[in-house]
Amino acid sequence: MLPRNQDRSQIKPSGCQDFRRLNRRVAMRVGSLGALSLCLGDLLRMRASADDGQTGAYSAQKAKGPLPQRIKSIIQLNLGGGFPQHESFDPKPEAPLEYRGPFGVVKTSNGDIFSDNFPKTAQIAKKLTVIRTLVGKVPDHGLATYHLSTGYTPTAVIDYPSMGAILSHELGPRGILPPFIAVPKRNAFAGNTGFLPSSYGAFEIGDDPANGKNFKVRDFSLPQGISLDRFNRRNAARELIENRIRSMETEPTTLDTMDGFYKKAYAVLTSPEAQRAFSFEGESDETFELYGAKVTGKVLAPDNKYHPKGLAERLIIARRLVEAGTRLVTIDYGAWDCHVDVKKCCDDYMQPLDYAISGLVTDLDRRGLLDSTLFWVTSEFGRTPKINKDSGRDHHARCYSMLLAGGGFQQGLIHGASDSVANEPARDGVLLEDLLYTIYHGLGIDADKELVAFGTRPIEIIKDGKLVSALLA
Amino acid sequence: MNKMKRCSMLAILCIGFLCSSLQAQDSQSRGDPQIPSFRKDVMPVFFRAGCNSGTCHGSARGKDGFMLSLFGYDPAGDYRRTVEEIPGRRINGSVPEESLLLLKATASVPHTGGKLFDPKSPLYQTLLKWIEAGAPDDSGAVPEVIGITLSNTSVVFDQPSGQLPLQVTANYSDGSTRDVTSLSRFFSNNPSVAQIDAQGLVTGHGFGDTNVFGRYSRFTVGAEVIVLPPADGFIWPDPPANNFIDRLVFQRLEKLRIVPSDLCDDQTFLRRVTLDLVGRPPTPLEYEGFMADEDPDKRASKIDALIATDDFADYQAALWAEQLRVIGGNYSTGATVIKAADRLANWIRDQFRKDRPLNEFVSEMTAASGPNIANGPVNLYTMLVHKPQVDPKMLAADFSQVFLGVQIQCAECHNHPFDRWTMDDYYGFVSFFTGVRRKPGVEAREKRIFWDDKSNPAISPVDGRARPAKTLGAIDPVGVQGDPRGELAKWLTSPENDIFAENIANRIWAHFLGRGVVEPVDDMRVSNPPTNAPLLDGLSKRLVELRFDLRSFVREICNSRVYQLASKPTPTNAKDTRQFSHAKLRRLRADVLLDSIVAVTGIPRNLPGWPAGTKAVHYYPRVSGDTEGPHPGDPFFETFGRSTRGTVCACETKSDPTLSQTMHLVVGDTIRERLSSPSVVKALLESHTQPEKIIETLFVRALSRKPTDKEQMDFRNFISGNESNPEIYEDIFWGLLNSTEFLFNH
Repeated sequence: MLPRNQDRSQIKPSGCQDFRRLNRRVAMRVGSLGALSLCLGDLLRMRASADDGQTGAYSAQKAKGPLPQRIKSIIQLNLGGGFPQHESFDPKPEAPLEYRGPFGVVKTSNGDIFSDNFPKTAQIAKKLTVIRTLVGKVPDHGLATYHLSTGYTPTAVIDYPSMGAILSHELGPRGILPPFIAVPKRNAFAGNTGFLPSSYGAFEIGDDPANGKNFKVRDFSLPQGISLDRFNRRNAARELIENRIRSMETEPTTLDTMDGFYKKAYAVLTSPEAQRAFSFEGESDETFELYGAKVTGKVLAPDNKYHPKGLAERLIIARRLVEAGTRLVTIDYGAWDCHVDVKKCCDDYMQPLDYAISGLVTDLDRRGLLDSTLFWVTSEFGRTPKINKDSGRDHHARCYSMLLAGGGFQQGLIHGASDSVANEPARDGVLLEDLLYTIYHGLGIDADKELVAFGTRPIEIIKDGKLVSALLA
Repeated sequence: MNKMKRCSMLAILCIGFLCSSLQAQDSQSRGDPQIPSFRKDVMPVFFRAGCNSGTCHGSARGKDGFMLSLFGYDPAGDYRRTVEEIPGRRINGSVPEESLLLLKATASVPHTGGKLFDPKSPLYQTLLKWIEAGAPDDSGAVPEVIGITLSNTSVVFDQPSGQLPLQVTANYSDGSTRDVTSLSRFFSNNPSVAQIDAQGLVTGHGFGDTNVFGRYSRFTVGAEVIVLPPADGFIWPDPPANNFIDRLVFQRLEKLRIVPSDLCDDQTFLRRVTLDLVGRPPTPLEYEGFMADEDPDKRASKIDALIATDDFADYQAALWAEQLRVIGGNYSTGATVIKAADRLANWIRDQFRKDRPLNEFVSEMTAASGPNIANGPVNLYTMLVHKPQVDPKMLAADFSQVFLGVQIQCAECHNHPFDRWTMDDYYGFVSFFTGVRRKPGVEAREKRIFWDDKSNPAISPVDGRARPAKTLGAIDPVGVQGDPRGELAKWLTSPENDIFAENIANRIWAHFLGRGVVEPVDDMRVSNPPTNAPLLDGLSKRLVELRFDLRSFVREICNSRVYQLASKPTPTNAKDTRQFSHAKLRRLRADVLLDSIVAVTGIPRNLPGWPAGTKAVHYYPRVSGDTEGPHPGDPFFETFGRSTRGTVCACETKSDPTLSQTMHLVVGDTIRERLSSPSVVKALLESHTQPEKIIETLFVRALSRKPTDKEQMDFRNFISGNESNPEIYEDIFWGLLNSTEFLFNH
């Protein structure tokens, strides 16, 4: 099936028959277990907070000791559907045509090659870290996206928290903004808060920055005619009413969660800094140009025109959110499930992506943020080495590529090498769990630490993860 | 082995399974008890050691070039792949110890799965003996495992450190039994309460109740484990029981040493029962009337009065319409045009208004044929699965999930690993729908649903043979010529079908208590047992006794003391989330919340595609184009997690609070537009009502209770000096609409 000329957050994924159903169902199921485990989690929190105060409410085991925090924030750009490694960062120009695919190569500034879809990115390769040997588990969209976001494949019994929820839980907010924001929405297949309370979940901004300068987050500013005094008074009235149910000691965690949301709402609504972060205020035309705001895909839209894809605007907002203290911003881009006509798929989405990657990295670098910010380009898996009968490529989780920049990862590094057709790692394979472990390490989180689900069931943030020190500067 | 022989082997196997009467012919492996049988002895080694699990060689594509069927659903295939696929590779007949099978399992050569057992272990010895005997296949009928039992099904520990070994016994089709503890696998649903080790030893861990399971062959059986909290200080208060529900819940609580909460007060009861029965809060008039009523049976009278209304029937009908994915569009191929959706929704509503028994209601839809704009119930076959064509597999899966609470689709590719369903069950069930077809109807965009007599039953991939329509768990097909759905409807909704009655009873219970006895309600399986089995049994039996009459059944739930317990916990029940010992805080459903805001503020809210005044609970998406979801319908619904009807999963309805919801309530248009304009507050001020009375009126409107003395004092101070300013009362109203008491049913 053809990938449609639409954004994945808006479409029914087109690639696989069962993608929409069973897997969506699994994703939904996981969501429902989340609600269930919230109660169990709450229970524990009550107990834990009685035992050892507010801190470490879910920590079964203390971390080994404070780790230095290299990464302050992460911008995760997810290329959902399965991003083709041959057409991007692991081209195989010497492979037979049916493996090589329809594109050529371009030299990178660190002396390697990328697919010629990425000339701009190739120029800044000295700033990037490319892993060519990522090893996932399941070539299935729903399961693999969940795996990417949580480090676990879904089970019927335990719903695992995603990285964003874990960051919110372990590190809390940095400044006024919510620590975990999805632009504009959370990927439906990704994990959410799992067994942690929903207060650690993603804040979805709802409106898409791709709407350009008119972009305005829904329900995000004080309505006209409501002064700050009046707003304070309303909150005071609410608190007076809450006293009664509080005094009944009914589900304190639910009440805490609700109070927490009202406090957060108050904070973002009354903070000019937070309000500014969700706008393009003060961004120059040059910045929009740098991110490729006007760069279009190479495939005609149904209206017979070429359109920009809105990725530039999303990344600019992401950068602003990170500057204002958000710890993880997630963005989805493109529809990469190229079972049919991989060339068309790439032509449609890659040029804006090339500009946006190089634009964001350059911008972070010149603002002095590249060291403390990790830009992480992900996909749930890669695509099969051999072009199929429909000129497309299918799902492939055993060896694929990921791109990182900043956050203490070694700049200019091309890590690992795949075999002659990018089917299996030839050397230095990196398990997805180990990459996640390494990112947590950079965030100052010991991912061996156990969180507690289901009463007192300890679960490691990442199970049996290992630090991939070769990736780090 | 040539193909013919393989087929006949399988045929023998199947017949052996279906009717165990087939006599064994001369069997080389059975003849000599010293030689292990492949099916009876060798495959259990694969199972026990985990070789055929989903993460290892049981994966659909195998692992590292060697594939086994998941948990051994395909013995003949497993034999072929182990012995014959690459002759001499895995089995070394001349030097058995050098067989790759053994070298890998003991990690004598590199093995991704690591070392599974030691050469001294019985598992190794079984494999070795079998290879030494020439790795024979079984010939003739090998006794099949027809079930397994645990030596104990209920374990109670007085203290966390208690221990008890469990044995697993397999029962075979020839009547023999065997202790298979050492070949079984074990797991616990909650290791923080009780753990079970690889030898079947149960160890208590923390207070509470859970289930541990033993698995052997395709069977999973469970035992309940209770770890009791200390008895000292526990006094069972022996609360009065209004009906069988209370008796069953209190028996359980007493056993677990949990003291239930007190009865909730009248105002809490009134709000709770009104929201649950008719999907809106009580009006101030209803509040005054109920509080003034001095009849000791006023709660029962209130329940009767609410249940008798059309509002009750319409709310229940709307919940079913959501479950059945009623969505109207204008795309003719999908057969889900708005007229068809309306026809189905109206038909459902009529059934509930006229007290149609639930089993008849389901039965009529199940067997329905005919034109879908003229005939409402036939739209089960257009709405449940929104597709241009009828997809029998999806239909079977969704049908089973909705009407049986069973997720049968796991058995499409392998016998359900944690339940009793087999691939035969699955394909037999799919065959109820393989002949369902659509053809153009009389009216424009109308489709006629009919059974195509030329259709073929579903084919099982195990042997490539057809599986004629067969009900779940049955041995023989229903055996009718033509449309088998009448037989399906009969079986499904018969009072003898426990699965159906349990599913319906559990779903209704979950609506009123905020949690099913089995949770999630649409994932009933052996490994997800009820938290109170006698309760589920009691509820489903009662539903059958009441001849599936919804109103009578709901009346019993609402009249139980359990339903009327307070949310304020006792020292022993605060941590309980599974045993119904106190009321749960339940965030209002998105649609009920919107209707409540409209009711309390008196200002309507229009919904896309519907006439003004339509209640949010009655809303279903009416869209242009195809209906294949997800359709949130309205931004409010999306933010507050109303089902998008994208799937039949009960999890489509979400009730987790989120920051976006709070932001919307704080500054969004829903509340903002209903506080100013001609409002409740202005009307009160214009009629020169006293400030105390205004505050009281607002409390009663929003929370169905009067302010406490302390609250009255707090708010007198709050408005002091501003008594005639409408804004100050609007701010109090805002506070009420944003309070936990308003947003939750408590």
